[in-house]
Amino acid sequence: MVTPIYIIAIALGIAFSLGFFSKGSKGIASSLFYLALTALTAIAGQWLIAFLTGDQSTVEVFTSGFKPPFSISLQMGFEEAVLLSMINIAGLLGAVYLFDQFKKYGAHLMITYLLLIMGLDVIVMTRDLFNLFVFLEIASIAMAGMALITNEGKSVQAGFKYLTATAIISAFFLIGIIFAYNFGDSLYINELLMSEGILKAGMVVSFLIIMPLILELKPFPANGWGLDMYQATHPAVGALLSGASVTASAYVLYKLAPLGGEIGYQVIAILGLITFLGSNLAGLKQSHTRRMLGYSSIAQTGLVMIVIGLQPMLGEMTLWIAFSILITNFLAKSGLFWLAGIINKDELKSWGILRKHPILLFLFVMFVIALSGLPPFPAFFGKWELIMALANSGNAWWIGLILLGSLIEAVYLFRWVGYGIKDKSFDFSINCSTYKTIPIYIMGAGLIAFVGYYLNHYFGDVVWYFIPLAFAALMFILDFLPAKLKNIIAIIGMGGYAYYMYDHFLGVDNLRFFFALIFIVGGILTLIPGFTKSGKRLGFYPAALLMFSGLGMLISATDLLQFFIAWEIMTIGSYLLIIRGKNSIKHAFSYMLFSLGGAFTMLAGFAFAQSGNPGIGLEVLSNMNYLPGLAAALIAIGFMTKTASLGLHIWLPGAHAEAESDVSPMVSAILLKAGVFGIILLFIGIGAEAATNHPLTYTLGWLGALTALIGNLGAAFQEDAKRLLAWSSIGQLGYILFAFSIMTHLGWLAGLTYTANHAAFKAILFLGIGGVVFRTKTHNMYEMGGLIKKMPLTFITVLFAIITLAGIPPLSGFAGKWLFYNAVIMKEWYLQGTIVFFAGIIAFLYSFRILYAVFLGHLKDKHRKIKEAPIWYLIPQFLLMGFIMLFSMQPELILRPFGDMISAYFPTDALTWDNGTALTSLGYWNGFRVGVIIFILFGILFGWLFLTSRKVKKIKSFNIVYAGEAPERPETTHMAHNLFAGYNKALGFLVAPGITNIWKWIDESTHDLGDFIRRIYTGNAQTYLVHIVAYTVIVFMLINFSI
Amino acid sequence: MENIAAKLLWTFLGLLIVLNWGMLKTSIVRKIVARVGGRYGIRWYQPWINLIKLYGTRGQLSHGVMFYLGPVFRIAGGVGLFLFMPLIFGDPRWSNFAFAGDLILLLYFKFFGMLGMALGAGEGGHPYSAIGVSRGLSQYTTVEIPFTLGIIALAVQYDTLSLTEMVAAQQGGIANWTIVTNPIASAALLFSMLGIFMHAPFDLVKAPNEIPIGPPTEYHGSYLGVLRTNAAIMHITEAVLFMNLLFGGANNWIELIIKTFLIYFITVFIGVVFPRFRIEQSVRFFLGVPLILGILAIILIM
Amino acid sequence: MMALEHITLIIGSSLILLGLWGLITQKNLIKIVISFTLVDAGIHILMISLGYLKNRTAPIVDGTIDNAVEQIVDPIPQAMVLTAIVIGLGITALMLSFVIRLAKDKNSLNVSNFKDLKW
Repeated sequence: MVTPIYIIAIALGIAFSLGFFSKGSKGIASSLFYLALTALTAIAGQWLIAFLTGDQSTVEVFTSGFKPPFSISLQMGFEEAVLLSMINIAGLLGAVYLFDQFKKYGAHLMITYLLLIMGLDVIVMTRDLFNLFVFLEIASIAMAGMALITNEGKSVQAGFKYLTATAIISAFFLIGIIFAYNFGDSLYINELLMSEGILKAGMVVSFLIIMPLILELKPFPANGWGLDMYQATHPAVGALLSGASVTASAYVLYKLAPLGGEIGYQVIAILGLITFLGSNLAGLKQSHTRRMLGYSSIAQTGLVMIVIGLQPMLGEMTLWIAFSILITNFLAKSGLFWLAGIINKDELKSWGILRKHPILLFLFVMFVIALSGLPPFPAFFGKWELIMALANSGNAWWIGLILLGSLIEAVYLFRWVGYGIKDKSFDFSINCSTYKTIPIYIMGAGLIAFVGYYLNHYFGDVVWYFIPLAFAALMFILDFLPAKLKNIIAIIGMGGYAYYMYDHFLGVDNLRFFFALIFIVGGILTLIPGFTKSGKRLGFYPAALLMFSGLGMLISATDLLQFFIAWEIMTIGSYLLIIRGKNSIKHAFSYMLFSLGGAFTMLAGFAFAQSGNPGIGLEVLSNMNYLPGLAAALIAIGFMTKTASLGLHIWLPGAHAEAESDVSPMVSAILLKAGVFGIILLFIGIGAEAATNHPLTYTLGWLGALTALIGNLGAAFQEDAKRLLAWSSIGQLGYILFAFSIMTHLGWLAGLTYTANHAAFKAILFLGIGGVVFRTKTHNMYEMGGLIKKMPLTFITVLFAIITLAGIPPLSGFAGKWLFYNAVIMKEWYLQGTIVFFAGIIAFLYSFRILYAVFLGHLKDKHRKIKEAPIWYLIPQFLLMGFIMLFSMQPELILRPFGDMISAYFPTDALTWDNGTALTSLGYWNGFRVGVIIFILFGILFGWLFLTSRKVKKIKSFNIVYAGEAPERPETTHMAHNLFAGYNKALGFLVAPGITNIWKWIDESTHDLGDFIRRIYTGNAQTYLVHIVAYTVIVFMLINFSI
Repeated sequence: MENIAAKLLWTFLGLLIVLNWGMLKTSIVRKIVARVGGRYGIRWYQPWINLIKLYGTRGQLSHGVMFYLGPVFRIAGGVGLFLFMPLIFGDPRWSNFAFAGDLILLLYFKFFGMLGMALGAGEGGHPYSAIGVSRGLSQYTTVEIPFTLGIIALAVQYDTLSLTEMVAAQQGGIANWTIVTNPIASAALLFSMLGIFMHAPFDLVKAPNEIPIGPPTEYHGSYLGVLRTNAAIMHITEAVLFMNLLFGGANNWIELIIKTFLIYFITVFIGVVFPRFRIEQSVRFFLGVPLILGILAIILIM
Repeated sequence: MMALEHITLIIGSSLILLGLWGLITQKNLIKIVISFTLVDAGIHILMISLGYLKNRTAPIVDGTIDNAVEQIVDPIPQAMVLTAIVIGLGITALMLSFVIRLAKDKNSLNVSNFKDLKW
């Protein structure tokens, strides 16, 4: 083992010797420099390996053979080895990235750089308080010096601010050290921590030690000096600050935090929370990339502070959680800062240039997702453990605030991702030098490796669970193949998955099998239209399969963690899918925010639910102890963001309507059912008996009814065909929510019937309209018309789907309506039920509108040569129509298994079968007979008309009775725009964008608040000094006050 | 097999009776309306003549398949409604095919014809057709609310969704009729009946002066014949529905004819007295008093 | 008569406060740097005063002193001060060089003129 002293020796030695190289021998100097950094990394790595593989124990090294305080002691334990490896890797890769700068500035910069890395290394290792001070100073001098790489006004200013701020902080620290020595009679940290003297001296001493360390971590709001460094210096410096420097400082705080005792921990946690929230808020309005990253870095540091502060509660988990957050921030932030350097533009929008560099774009998106704390990245697991621990110790408020902060962070991060994926306004090109991209690749690879490590750590025994995820990852790798081939691969993969589901769930858990059918088989059907695409269709298949694997994993999840991971993976996949649409950037963003908000409330709900339970299996949902009502409500809200229930629905119309033609059916017919599945799981947890008068199910019943009303009413007033369908989805999901909330056998039967029907007819409708849009290139119904003549097959499928939707006998939609009436009357939910039926009638408005405005009336001139929709669109439609026909004619075939499924939870046999007739205590219905009667009747009457009508002549569309005139423009004769004007006049106020405005107000006022908060960063170096002094004084006063 | 043949025969006979009674009723009503307006009115046999004329038209025009199928949908809806409606209580010969489904089936099957007709008219391409349909649907949505509330109230009162059982519960004199036992729900239902029959003041949908330029002119000849046939069947069947719901059903054809005539006459009577509502007015109307009555009916059973 | 360690304690603390006051009130960059050196000097004096023991000599061990442990003051604060002075010097020098660059950039020494980075 090479003793860690060599880290100092090598760094100092080489740094000094570099000074001797004149400008003529630059080559040798830079070789030496890189060699030194490699050596540092190697030493750290060697210790890390030793700790990981063998039973290496913690080593303490004393310089020159004396004991402290006459010598400096360095400790090398597992934590130190990990952190040193991180710092030195960041150092080495950063140096590679800065290759051109080192060439330009030569030995001076190299010396500074080496000293910086060495300083950070020693900060981690040292156990001597004064030595810590010295190396903190060395590191901050070197860091300030690095600010001079970009030799321009702003950067110099930033360096100056940084220098003055750290100088004053160190001065405080020095005073603290003196007192610590005076009272504790030692500078050896290990002794100080056990010193009685410090305890007796009261809090002033420990305050003076701990407060500067907190200040070093740039707590909000005394951190303007740090932000300026992130913004103005070379991106590589930002990477070092965020990756290496924070890591070192956080560890110092962790080391010395015990000095402050219980109060100290509390203070650290609270200040961390303020930093996390405040910094994210202030970052909201930021349009400068690196400054925004700075806000995010500081927020992440705040999170780490929270973890350190909660150590008394978290116990052994502290390091694991802190490491999870740190490593993610380290890898992702370094990568992002380096990317920022390659793009070399300040504006967030300029990241659209990454569209031209798919690999970098992939890394960018991955880094941001990791940073947002989404699975499967390490930070997620850290947050998960943190939230669970907080719930177990009854800290609901902390959970709420941490999740709120995370959501705010996601707001600006995902806005940025949106620009990166979609913005096309860039007018420059970037130069990806190998030495700049390689470090980014390495960080990306590192992140993926850690994903593997974490998944293995948590799910080593259920690896099979992640096979679908691996398949999605495979699609990332295969993305260079042509789209048609990938489509075949995807369908085959999904087929395999469907077989797996069939094998595992049919007969074992039919409810899950039913949803697996919707998710996976539905997925296959909606993938088929993909055959119309030529070229590579980059990014589509990975995203789609990410979504489908998430959906599939929801089915096979056995505990809350698996379920949540699946949920988030599905969300990420669907986000990436939705944002592909032409005008989707805004809608995908709002989808993501609602989804994340929902996921976070769900996470909080899960945390409360598992609290007090021995495990986190899904069965905890039926045994909630801690805040059970709130937990159930939070989980329900989480699911309802996906089902777009009233109040949480505003993202849906845009997201579903603006998505690509074949994506809309995926997200509308299939994805929404994930929320339904979740609600079912939750309701199963609540249980039939508890639910009889459960306030939650009662509320959700009303909410479902109102959602149905508003959704359908909204649909009636749309001019955009896809928006109409999207609003209709809101309404339909309202029915489903309502039906399940009834919590009786019949109610659930109606719910499942609706679920199956909606999956089928909404897929047909979106595919049908998708085919129309594919041909006409417009969404506006008033720009269509008369297409029945050009696309008769599509018309037939859409007609059948609409009849199903409207619940008109003889098609299967009526089964849902019939069950509904029975369930509502038996449950005695008359008023809610009536609202739902009213909504059902309103559905006729848009049902007619979409059929009429698109397919009937007058054909537009430009559509005269249009063709039938592509066969790949028609195939799935007819298959689904086959299902609807089967369901319609033999309802028993489908309703009976549904009934058996439900009987497990609602044992009453409310529905009986008598030779094909469905019987309840109220009514009866025989689907087959009704179907036969209607079809025969229709045939006879058709024959009657055929017999009595003679010499039928086909005429052109304008040949109508029109006051003696012959109209000639379809635009003026096709009465489609604002079709329900009178209805709008009477009831349009119900769908005035009130809820949208509320959300807008929340959005704007949050942004305004963020904007207001960030005004404290006046830019004046002196103000920042005042901040530091004032912050210290105020915290001191508050602590005194509260004691 | 014999059973089915007999059943079909009886049903067909019933259909013929209802059809002819419907046409006679049309001419009587027209006559009454004319006399109120001081005119002479049509001859009582005019509807039959009209029908023969329409079916006899020599040449016809078509705008397309859906246009052609529109009337078929429409009459299938009307005849279907007839088929699922029990006519005479206690007589299996006249209970039609009510065994296939209950009241809910009737309620939703109405839309079959409405939708088909709307689509057929839509393909006709006349802008007035679209206006008429849009008005019809708009008005219908709110007519349906008091109707639904009333139906639920009755279903709870009689603890069944079967129309036959509801009629059975009302046997034994006027005191057992729903209109007496549950006047509030009945009032709600009667209000919505006005909307369903679409007489004034709720006749903007047909708007006798404007909208007929749309569908009824585009639909000519045997199309119109089919539509007229349907109208005759439909009116009586719907009156039968209200008769079964509110007025104790019928034990024989005479009773049925008297009751349906009186029920229908309510709407005619109101229609003659009141002027026409604009569509948003009628939408708001049904969300006023009828809705309150409906909610009251529900509250009373809760 | 106040004891020496008390005098130094007061002087040190006053210097620190004076320096802090200067740091947050003076607009001139040079004066800000000087204020920092005041804080620094105050801390150094404070350190010495805490390490001072009455009637002891400097912790320089040579032949003239027997029984060194009982005759010298605590050597550690002294060593610390030496280091701190060096570090303070380094920081002051770097600050001044930053000031030169700032002054060259905008031809001004007023700290309020360097607010290009904010929010």
